[in-house]
Amino acid sequence: MNEKPLQVLLVEDNAGDVRLLREMFSKERRDAFQLTHLLRMSEAETHLAKGGVDIVLLDLGLPDGHGLDTVRRAHAAAPEVPVIVLTGLDDEALAAEAMNAGAQDYLIKGQIENRALPRALRHAIERHRMQTETDLIRTHQLQFKDEFLSHVSHELRSPLTAVRQFVTILLDGLAGELNPEQRQYLEIVLRNVKQLHSMINDLFEVSGVQAGKLKIELQCTSVSDAIAYTVNTLTGAAAAKGIILPADIERTLPSVCADPARVRQILIILVDNAIKFTPQNGTVKIQTRIFEEDPAFLLLEISDSGCGIDPEMTERIFERLFQASGPAAADHNGLGLGLYICKDLVTRQGGKIWAKSTPGQGAVFSVTVPIFSLPKLLAPAFSEERQTERPITIVVTELGSQTGWLSNEVRGEQCRGIRDLLRGCLYSDLDVLLPKMDSTGPAELFFIVAITDGIGGEAICNRIRKQLDSSEHLRQAGLTHSTFYRPLEAIERNSTESKEDFLEKVAIDIQELMSKEISARQVRNG
Amino acid sequence: MDSRKILIVDDNADIRLGMHLRLKANQYQTFFAADAISGVAEAQKHQPDLIILDLGLPGGDGFSVMESLNKIPALATIPIVVVSARDVMGNQKRAFEAGARAFLQKPVNDDELLAVVRQALGEPAATKKPTLHDQASV
Repeated sequence: MNEKPLQVLLVEDNAGDVRLLREMFSKERRDAFQLTHLLRMSEAETHLAKGGVDIVLLDLGLPDGHGLDTVRRAHAAAPEVPVIVLTGLDDEALAAEAMNAGAQDYLIKGQIENRALPRALRHAIERHRMQTETDLIRTHQLQFKDEFLSHVSHELRSPLTAVRQFVTILLDGLAGELNPEQRQYLEIVLRNVKQLHSMINDLFEVSGVQAGKLKIELQCTSVSDAIAYTVNTLTGAAAAKGIILPADIERTLPSVCADPARVRQILIILVDNAIKFTPQNGTVKIQTRIFEEDPAFLLLEISDSGCGIDPEMTERIFERLFQASGPAAADHNGLGLGLYICKDLVTRQGGKIWAKSTPGQGAVFSVTVPIFSLPKLLAPAFSEERQTERPITIVVTELGSQTGWLSNEVRGEQCRGIRDLLRGCLYSDLDVLLPKMDSTGPAELFFIVAITDGIGGEAICNRIRKQLDSSEHLRQAGLTHSTFYRPLEAIERNSTESKEDFLEKVAIDIQELMSKEISARQVRNG
Repeated sequence: MDSRKILIVDDNADIRLGMHLRLKANQYQTFFAADAISGVAEAQKHQPDLIILDLGLPGGDGFSVMESLNKIPALATIPIVVVSARDVMGNQKRAFEAGARAFLQKPVNDDELLAVVRQALGEPAATKKPTLHDQASV
């Protein structure tokens, strides 16, 4: 058998450990392994990015990286290369966490038995290969399902178009006058066509839910806007049943941390349902307030004066393919997917959804959404004890298009890609990725807050630039990016000040700086 | 005023007829093509004021029709409204890049289709008499 030597990258700063490992390798066949040894994580990242490494042996306490962060960085630099973590005897818990973070295996220093090392390496590589293969098969299966659904939906939409066209042609009298009975029957046809159309759309959505593919991009979102959009969209449907949707929307609601498109979708599903199950001239209300049980959440309540829900069913209605039964439901059968999609969207944004009802007296659907809070987002990066925080760096990454405006579609997809990439650039315990704060016309802005030491913003900026520069994804989409930083002075903390108060203070400073960045661009872009 | 000419390129005969009835009722003159190649040929023959174009067509697709039209100076400026059953995702962007004025997904609502057609033809509102050069470019 003529195998190429395995390229092993050892990242370890302890000379003694390196010597021991080298000795172990020296006992193996000469052409079996080729060892490259590096001392620092930054060097390892550069080396990994070049390619050609088969496996990494990674120490978790390096001069420029520690803990799970090193595993994440190795994985970000070369996702296809398996990592074995080297750990001390007292750190087995950390090693287990490292495996959750993507490491294939761990070896305890000083406990590596004779000949165990090559076996561990080969097993890790084999396991990694099998896992990659399984992932690939799964991806292909999902892709096939997507293509199939897309095909089916295409085939269904064309005949549906013809049906709808001719029904409306008849209804509009283009083929002669209709008598009232004929008109009534055609209206029934049209109503069913519309229902079929919305079922086809639901089928699409639900295939996304099951694949965990419904994308959610959390950001600072206005609930008032989402309510206004929903009311605007459904006013017609409500008016047809003599239901008046509330037009006065409270403008002073706090912003939430959610995906605006998904909040609109949730509201549309719930309000549309409420209209469907409410009789002629009934009422549908949308109310919002701070959630009494947990003031960190905003509560949205959609109530109706419809037939209500059997109390035993208030949980089951969120199950996939659940169909309401009873006389009132008979007219409104959809696929039973709307509330299922809704629940998935709510929980994945950190909220809860539930229903309460007294049969015959309507139903109330409640949704909670986390209120947007800068101090809360910052909290993990600030320690409890320290009295003076080190200087704070705000890194701004701006995403633009070479051809002018970012289309909505590019916007959604690419911004999510960038966020994932930025997340990979972060040191988990020092940096905070804030949700995208604003879109400023032709550009999108992302912010990272970093509590820096001596190296400062320059190093963080370089780290991010390097990742973005090497992103094939960005280049293919014809997008430009620029990353720069804005420093904030170290902020003093009074000895009496609680962490919460201190964070409030920091948040105000950061918010100010971010607002300046955003408005500077809005001026520039006219 | 002469009625404006609209070419409908769609391989589904029922949809062609349905659109014809609706457009005729609104004083438009219609022509038809059922595949990509005759789509371009009919456009050359009738020099329509607007083309309603399906994407899934025999003998090419809607994008190939737009590509061919773009190469013929006399036809390159005809406004195109894409009406397709295909996903908005991906196709809409591609259609706009190829020069389409609008993208509507089937099943299409006739009111919406008419509104888009009027807008693409530069006919501002149903209440106002359409004037030429109403939408002079800035």
